[in-house]
Parts: sequence; C-alpha cells; structure tokens
Amino acid sequence: MGGVEDDEPASKRMKLSSEELRHLSNGSTIKEPVAGSSGDLMARPLQSEGGEEVVGSKGVIKKVEFVRIIAKALYSLGYIKSGAHLEEESGIPLHSSVVNVFMRQILEGNWDESVVTLHNIGLTDERTIKSASFLILEQKFFELLDEEKVMDALKTLRTEIAPLCINNGRVRELSSSIVSPSDWFSVRSPKQDIKRARSRTKLLEELQKLLPPTVMIPERRLEHLVEQALVLQRDACMFHNSLEKDMSLYADHQCGRDQIPSQTLQILQAHTDEVWFLQFSHNGKYLASSSNDRSTIIWEVDANGVSLKHILSGHQKPISSVSWSPDDHQLLTCGVEEVVRRWDVSSGECLNVYEKAGLGMVSCGWSPDGKWIFSGVNDKSICMWELEGKELECWKGQRTLKISDLEITSDGKQIISICRETAILLLDREAKVERLIEEDQTIISFSLSRDNRFLLVNLLNQEIHLWNIEGDLKLVSKYRGHKRTRFIIRSCFGGLEQAFIASGSEDSLVYIWHRGTGELIEALPGHSGAVNCVSWNPANPHMLASASDDRTIRIWGLNNLSTKLKDTHSNGIHYCNGGT
Amino acid sequence: MGRIFVVELDGRSYRCKFCRTHLALPEDLVSRSFHCRRGKAYLFNNAVNITVGALEDRMMISGMHTVADIFCCSCGQIVGWKYEAAHEKSQKYKEGKFVLERGRIVDEIDFSSEVYIDTRPSMSDSEDA
Repeated sequence: MGGVEDDEPASKRMKLSSEELRHLSNGSTIKEPVAGSSGDLMARPLQSEGGEEVVGSKGVIKKVEFVRIIAKALYSLGYIKSGAHLEEESGIPLHSSVVNVFMRQILEGNWDESVVTLHNIGLTDERTIKSASFLILEQKFFELLDEEKVMDALKTLRTEIAPLCINNGRVRELSSSIVSPSDWFSVRSPKQDIKRARSRTKLLEELQKLLPPTVMIPERRLEHLVEQALVLQRDACMFHNSLEKDMSLYADHQCGRDQIPSQTLQILQAHTDEVWFLQFSHNGKYLASSSNDRSTIIWEVDANGVSLKHILSGHQKPISSVSWSPDDHQLLTCGVEEVVRRWDVSSGECLNVYEKAGLGMVSCGWSPDGKWIFSGVNDKSICMWELEGKELECWKGQRTLKISDLEITSDGKQIISICRETAILLLDREAKVERLIEEDQTIISFSLSRDNRFLLVNLLNQEIHLWNIEGDLKLVSKYRGHKRTRFIIRSCFGGLEQAFIASGSEDSLVYIWHRGTGELIEALPGHSGAVNCVSWNPANPHMLASASDDRTIRIWGLNNLSTKLKDTHSNGIHYCNGGT
Repeated sequence: MGRIFVVELDGRSYRCKFCRTHLALPEDLVSRSFHCRRGKAYLFNNAVNITVGALEDRMMISGMHTVADIFCCSCGQIVGWKYEAAHEKSQKYKEGKFVLERGRIVDEIDFSSEVYIDTRPSMSDSEDA
C-alpha cells in the first residue's frame, strides 16, 4: 500500500497516461502497460464481469462513471476548457445531449421547452417528472410575478401547476402570494423582497438533487468520495492524537505511536502518603490531587511543566475525590465519610464546609452553572446544597453507595451514581425519571465522557465497560488487560476527541487503549506502586497524569526522541512508525 | 495500599473477625458441617470482599479437590478457601462455592460482647495457614 512509488505526486502519473492516450482519440485505451517508473500503477483498464470497462486494482470502479465525475469536478473547479477537453478526449460526455439541452433551457429561462425536454430525458418515475416540472413552473411563476405579469402568472398557476396535482399546500401558498404580496415580504429576508424568484443556477441545483444521479451527476461528487476515504483513514488510525496532522491525499493516513504520551516527563513528589485521586481542571491549566495523607494539592500546569501551587489541609480523613467548578475557580474535596469542603483555587482558602449531623459525605460534584453542589451521603441519599451551605434538596432512598462516584451531566439534568452493587443510577431530577445501567459484576468506579454521551465503568473482574447513555442504554465496548483485585482503580477518557481510554492498575502500569477498537496500545511502566487514578489533560491531548500508592504523581508526555526525528521530514509525506 | 474497595451487605452478615469487613450473607449459607484444621467451617454459595489466592490440588476429607485460599481484602487475613473443581462426581456441588472458617468470622450479634460462642482455647490467632 505505502510503497516507494506512492511518493510521486499524482499529476506525474496523469501526464504519462495522457501522453500515451493522445493518439487514441476515439476513446479506447491501451491494453499493454506503459513503460515508465509508475507504469504498473497506472489505471489499467480491465473488463468487469458485466462487460463494462473498470479501472482500479479491485475492478469495482466503472470507467465511464470515473471519467464523468472527474469531468464534473473539473467544471466545478472552474476549469471549463479542461473539462470539455476531457469529455472530448475520452469520448465520454458528462451529460447526455438531452440533459445538456435541458440545462441550457433552464439557465436561459425557456420554461415550456424545458418541461418538454424533461419528458424526453428518459425518467421512469412519474413522481420525479412531476416534482421537477413543479419546480420549473414555480420558477416561471415567480419570474412572471417579478416582471409584474400577474395575469400570466395566474394563468401558469391555474393551467400548468395546479393540474400536476402534487404539493397542493404549496399551490395554495403560491396563490396567496398573488393576493397578499405583503405577507411574502415579511416572510422573506429584506434582501430577498426585491425579487421573489431565486436564481436559475439555484433551480438547477435543486433539479440536480431531484433527478437520479445517473442523469445529472450530483455536485461535488468526487470531493465527497475523497472526503469519505480520508475520514475512514482517520477513524482507522489508532494513534491519531494530534490536530496538526493534516491529512494528505498522497499517502494513506497513519499516525505513529509517538503521538501517544508514553514517557514520564515529571515526577511530582509532595504527598506524604498514597495518592488516591487526581483530575485536571476543565481548562487544563491546573491539576488537583488528593491523598490518604488528608491533603489535596493544586498544581499549576504551564509551558515549563507542572508546579505546586497550594496544599489544602483541613480534612480529618483521607480524601476520596475532588471536583472542579465549571469555571475552574473553585474546588470541592470530599473526605471519606466525612465532610465536603469548598476551596478557592487562587488563594487556597477554604470557603465552606458542608456536613450533615451524624452522617458522612461520600462524593461531591458541581452543577454545571456553578450555583449548586451535590454530594452523596453515607445513608445512601444524595443532597443538593446552595454554595453558602443551605441544603436545598435531598433524594432519599437507595441512590448511592458508600463507595461511589458522583457525576452531573452538563445540562444539569442527570445525576449519576452507583446505587447498587451491580447497578448505576441515572436520575433525571427534572423529569423524575430513573434509568439503570445493570452489570453482571460489582461496579468499582465510573467516569463520564466530556460530551455526556458515554460512561466508562470499572468492574470488579478487571474489565472496563463503555456504555452509551444517550437514549437507550447500550454496552458498546470492553477493555481488558489491567490488574485489579483489591483497590478502587479508576479509568478515564482522553486524547484528541477522547479517542483513548486510560486506566490505573494494581501492577503499577498505566494502561492506554484505543477507544474505538478496544486494542491495548500502551502499558507504561514507571510507578513503584499501584496506580489508583489517571487523568488526561482536556486541553492537551499529549499530557496524561497518574496517581500512585508510591506517593508520587507522574506526568506523561510524548516520547521526545521520535519527535526530534520527525522534524527532519517535511509535511505531506506519510509518517513512519516510531520504530525507525 | 490503595483505597480498598469493599461492598456492604444488607442486613445481618457474617464478617471478618479482625476488621469486621462484610464477607457473606446468612441466606447464602449452605452447610454448617464443614471442617478445617482449625475447627468448624461453613459452606456459602457466595462470598464478597475477598481476594483469591493460588490454585492448588489438595486432598480433603472428602477427596481430591482443586482449591484456592481466600483472604479478607481489607486486612489480608486468611478466612477460608474456595472450591474451584472437585475430582469426584459426588463432590461437584461444591464447585464455585466458598468455605469460611467459623473461627475467622463473626456473626453480627456477637459484636456486643467480646466472647465468641465458638471460640476454642486451643485456637491461636497467630496461627497461619
């Protein structure tokens, strides 16, 4: 697929073939391969089973269709002479002569003749003929109105449009436009009230969409096919993780593994005990980590790396999780069955403590407008608080477990938590509707995707399940490979368009999978203790952070060595795997 | 040691003697007539909050079985074993089930007092498998 010959630009290939074909003006093509370095890559015509000539190695591209869409593309690009020349040289006209006449008649406004020609094109579907006639006559109607020929317009409506017996609603609208033209002025935009008829080229486009594509080739058909191929290549690219990787037509797109963070860039040592949780802020400028040492640390992320900003002390228990406010100015921290604290990020000050007498908090989360906070309580309820501390609402009953995450969707409507050993509750607090994700195994933790459409669920049996939570709840993928036997291990989405899944593991490695294929891409060594939690920087697809029992946090980034090598290549040539 | 994941069982449950972690429900109790080197043991359909050790073939009173020792996931104490496979057909019913040693678990009603009904003076807590 990606051989040496592919590096030659396509135009060179075309030139060779057109030279050889010049003396074959009747349109037939050479059967023998042409001498030249790209000879055996030229479009060699074969015979398909159906007797039509095909091009391409797989024999699925019909030559006539291929040439016609190329001609259409040339015309769209404005290369009228080239388009005409291609039609002549290949002997394959873009449109049949009838269609050419039809198009000319439309553009010249010969409405009655065009309707006649329409019937001669050879369409089989009566409905299509009628719909096309309707469009043409509607144009005639409006142009007559614009020319103030009201009686003629009325005659057209009565004797030509109405008898078609289709789209009667529209016929009524048209008749009302004669009676009360002012209504039409108010409906249309100020610019359009001068002419009621749209341009004839627009009409032609509408007709193109209506008529079968074999009769009139759709606009931009070649561009559409090429885009489709590029999108498929990009989706198949397992390591695709950079915006700057422009896709080139010269070679199939394939990113190297070097686009995935795989090297430890920094080791952050500040916690005095196991680090259990961490999370980047929404803007990717901060990282919050919480530990068994009862403190939370806010780190600042900038071009030079990650540096310590504040150590937040105050909790009397280890901290289970943190939650960033939507504007990243404040942080919530939750002590294990203790209290929830709200902190100011820039000053490091504790602004409020949320507690319930005799009970302990187990999780915390923000409402998307930043006005309220939610917390899970160890009596299985979920509470909603005003920022200043007043409890607003409480959902009692089996809503959450002592060990559970808490997420709120960005429309503020759904609260998500683990409500039973094997079930996750999605509670719509407005519609008062409850949905349940039911699993066969015990659920350890979960993570919500940025677009709120997917939930990543960590299970007891060392599997990570991806669920689609939009509409019907559906299990989409499973990811395996990491180790979990005793601890709460967390996973997360990350990378460009969250195309990757990362997870901690009890074997001290950081695991990264390709979300779409489920294939394990990396298992990164470095930590000397179980990796409890991972977080991928939402603003930087090349930065991943991991929290471990070894009391450190590791910041992972791109492998510097291969990025240095890449600088010697110019753009547009397909990238080789980091292995070279 | 990371943040240990434990589940809580609803209602009365058998718990680890040392750290009170929930281990099994009374409704999962199958038989009270099992024995281990340290005394009585109960057979359960299911047990939670345990980690499973290495599989090994062991000759038990009832024949050869493939078993794995099980440990409380919180404190790590051995609490019994799990039957993976039974080599004799009559023992197949045990497969997939868990045995918890009576001396390693407590019933909830025992919490109020420090005296456990089945305690044998000869059983030493420091004894290890």
